[in-house]
Amino acid sequence: MNSHAAQDARLELIIRRILRVGVTTSSVLLAVGLTWSFVAPGTPASGLLMTVGLMILMATPATRVAASVIEYAVERDWLFVALTGVVLLEIIASVIAALVFHRRL
Amino acid sequence: MPVTPALTLIILMAGVVAGAFGATLGLGGGIFLVPFLNLVIGLPITVAAAISLTTVIATSSSVSAARAGQRLINLRLGMSLEVATAAGSLAGGITAQLLSEDTIRRLFAVMMAIIALLMLRTLNQRNTFAGTSVDPGLLGGRYDDPQAGGLVTYRVKRFPLALVASFVAGNVSSLLGLGGGVVKVPVLNAWCGIPLRAAAATSAFMIGVTATAGAIIYYGNGQLVPALAAAAVLGVQAGSWLGLRIGERASNKSLKLFMAGVMLIVAVIMAMRGKG
Repeated sequence: MNSHAAQDARLELIIRRILRVGVTTSSVLLAVGLTWSFVAPGTPASGLLMTVGLMILMATPATRVAASVIEYAVERDWLFVALTGVVLLEIIASVIAALVFHRRL
Repeated sequence: MPVTPALTLIILMAGVVAGAFGATLGLGGGIFLVPFLNLVIGLPITVAAAISLTTVIATSSSVSAARAGQRLINLRLGMSLEVATAAGSLAGGITAQLLSEDTIRRLFAVMMAIIALLMLRTLNQRNTFAGTSVDPGLLGGRYDDPQAGGLVTYRVKRFPLALVASFVAGNVSSLLGLGGGVVKVPVLNAWCGIPLRAAAATSAFMIGVTATAGAIIYYGNGQLVPALAAAAVLGVQAGSWLGLRIGERASNKSLKLFMAGVMLIVAVIMAMRGKG
């Protein structure tokens, strides 16, 4: 139980860093893009910044799932490699579903 | 609807309010933002849901980053249940593309009412199982809770029920643009033996993944307006920063009571608008 707790504490720190970096980066891009769109409405660059910011935001939880797969693999905790791996596949499936709907329009 | 600076600023401010309440209640903010964007601003419910989901990702990520290390988030339980929430979210995101505006709005109302009544019913139940002698098992947890007067240890009961609730939560999340915590937290707390604070923290942690699966589908369908989402995300970020600090001081009972009251009011408004 203690080794589990130690492993989870390490993973928690990795997750904390990923979430913090992801949210900060996306927030900065969104803030700059939004401010830019106020100052100079209709500039394509402001829209691009906000789109990239949103993409980084959506990639943040996906990245922490991917990091969990790797961390559990390093720990040889195969049950949790499988569980987090399935979650990652489900996120990939949503990207595929998005592409399907995109093509339909 | 044209994206004007005035509209963007209104959504930014709405985001602050929604974020503050969302973080306080562990709901993610969508519960306030979706009705506001749909009923007050007049955005289609799918567009409102898409904006809300991006704020849910941001709230989940920042709240969980702040909480990580306090052992309040049950990582193993969260990651196990994410298998079900992500599957539900995938199904909900696809379903949202097939249902009518009124149908989704009525579903929103029904969901809110059910959960609010559930919260009121369980208001006076004990929600912590204090004691250091309990073996937490594979998925249980242990954390320090000042309100419970020390170390709280819990064991997860009825895991299949937690999985079902998580699938439904994921479904509700991407279909209605909510975090899905309103579905998971009461079930995890009332039937699965998980203390409210741990259930809320674990749910908030899972929500980022749930909302991502849904948001990607809306994005692919062209229903995510970048400027409005940017305003909402930034507003919610500021609001949740405030809410997290208020939430640390709120008691379980007042939290539940307030949560139930707000959800009942929202449910009635949504149902009335759906009929007209």
